[in-house]
Amino acid sequence: MKFGIFYEISVPRPWENDIEHEVYHRCLEQVRVADEMGFHSVWAVEHHFLEEYSHCSAPELFLTACAMQTKQIRVGHGIVVCVPQFNHPIRAAERAAVLDILSDGRLEFGTGRSATWTELGGMDANPDETKETWDEYTRTIPQMWTNERYGYEGRAFRMPTRAVLPKPYQKPHPPMWVAVSSPGTEIDAAERGMGSLGLTFGGFAEQEEKVNRYRTRIQDCEPAGLFVNERVATVNFLYCHPDNETGIKVGSRLTGSFGYLAAQLLPVREVHPTRSYPNPGLLAATRQQAAQNPGEGVSAPEGVCIGNPDRLVEEIKKWESCGVDQINFLLNALETIPQEQVLDSLRLFGEQVMPHFVDDKPATTSEPRELAATAAAGGD
Amino acid sequence: MPINGNADPALLTRYAPTMSSLDTESLTLPDVKVLQVIYEIDDSVMAELLPPALHPTIPPTIHVIGMRAEDGPLGPFTIAIVRVGCRAAVRPRGLPTRAVCTEGEAATALTERWGFPITVGEPALRERYDRQSIEVNDGNVTVLSAQLVDPVPIGNGDLLYTAGMHVANVERDGETKPWLVQVDPDFEVSRADRGSAQIDAFDSNFWDAPDLRPVYPIVASYTTANITLPKIRYICDPMQPAISGTVAL
Repeated sequence: MKFGIFYEISVPRPWENDIEHEVYHRCLEQVRVADEMGFHSVWAVEHHFLEEYSHCSAPELFLTACAMQTKQIRVGHGIVVCVPQFNHPIRAAERAAVLDILSDGRLEFGTGRSATWTELGGMDANPDETKETWDEYTRTIPQMWTNERYGYEGRAFRMPTRAVLPKPYQKPHPPMWVAVSSPGTEIDAAERGMGSLGLTFGGFAEQEEKVNRYRTRIQDCEPAGLFVNERVATVNFLYCHPDNETGIKVGSRLTGSFGYLAAQLLPVREVHPTRSYPNPGLLAATRQQAAQNPGEGVSAPEGVCIGNPDRLVEEIKKWESCGVDQINFLLNALETIPQEQVLDSLRLFGEQVMPHFVDDKPATTSEPRELAATAAAGGD
Repeated sequence: MPINGNADPALLTRYAPTMSSLDTESLTLPDVKVLQVIYEIDDSVMAELLPPALHPTIPPTIHVIGMRAEDGPLGPFTIAIVRVGCRAAVRPRGLPTRAVCTEGEAATALTERWGFPITVGEPALRERYDRQSIEVNDGNVTVLSAQLVDPVPIGNGDLLYTAGMHVANVERDGETKPWLVQVDPDFEVSRADRGSAQIDAFDSNFWDAPDLRPVYPIVASYTTANITLPKIRYICDPMQPAISGTVAL
């Protein structure tokens, strides 16, 4: 079992007195502590226009700062929105490669397509086409990374043959992931030999089912990249406190605030009927977390990692038994939890929970396939 | 925390009915044609359109709805409704500002039993092969003209309709005051089209939504559905956050 931290970068109103500056720097401080405690990775989302919920529109910059201030922790670019109006695929490949170089080969590359009208409408993107464009990105970006020159004529974009530079530091390329919020997307990940980056807060039974489907299907995958990244990560909340009741009470404020914010956004499914978005994805799931009034909850839903170290060990063992390889934790929302408490929670988790879990799974579970002749050796 | 509405509920009740009883039975209207045109609106007035119980969506929206029933328990009728998209705590909702319905049993029932803010008029729902439209005139002035353009079939299950929060003066415990009445109809869709949204005329004063400007089209849908109007299960104090001000009946 590996542990990561996961950032939406939620900024409460009023947006004055340098609050965005403060929140960003608090996040960086948390990342430094997580690195010291031995967390495996820090993930940052790409979101646009999501007031208070997420002010993380340039995650590659945030992650570069993370990489510059840490030694071991991997940087999860998760996810890059694979829709042309958000990111041209060439730019996505270039930026990721630079981040991989600057972090000395610590990049994890997540892919996805956005689930809100707030974002897709804001970027004038067609929700009907995001699955298709995402698919093209996942096939072409590894080619840009591993071929000296590359050209492409497709549906989402075309390019005459050019050298997309620089190339990633990791060879043949960084591990690739798929954001999994809608049911069935784990199959998309498996079929392409990519990691399943879970973004919903389902219970154990639902997760076990997903993992089983993923593990079965990935055996016969056609990797989008040059190797298979068979890993299942899920997202969770983290508030660890010596006193269980306090941990649950404070942690419930976090889960409630996060869900409440998420519910204010406009999922594609609500306003733009399309088969491309058969359910509201992350947003509906988080609403379940917000069923109780923020600040008044005193019970911890199944599997949510809030409470004392003993409770967290118990819950994480259950996730482990479901086949989950990694849990990525949200640490705060709306600055509901004061920074010192967030840092104390991280340290307590690192000291008293993490030692119960052995991090023995290799980063990838298949050897790289035969590399493109032009992909130079090097990196780690 | 998210932005709350700041409209005075007393100002939202100009067309609100008085409901002497919330104890209504559910009712199914068969084969209703439903046009829904969704637009983003100018955000400068989004908070003024909603009572403190509700949050505007991000971005703020309106739903222009036209419905026509050819037959059924309330007889034939046509209705046009303008709603502001919103959230009651974490739940997706729409707050009707005004509705115009053809005269008859339907107008009376929808007003008295479900709190629709209805005035009687002659809304026209038109179905063409290349478009469907809803139009409302006030005298010689067109106060609403909204269309779905270039319909294409979609799956019946692809559509979501959000519940309404209807401002009504409710007699309760010996006191009559404004409440938000939750009306969450069930839509059994048998045919659905989707197309471009287009609003050609919108008089915000007529629709009791001063300064509301539709500014950016999202999408329009046109369906045939059996609509079951529900029993009233919840009401909400418009002055309190919905999470604490909701009362189960």
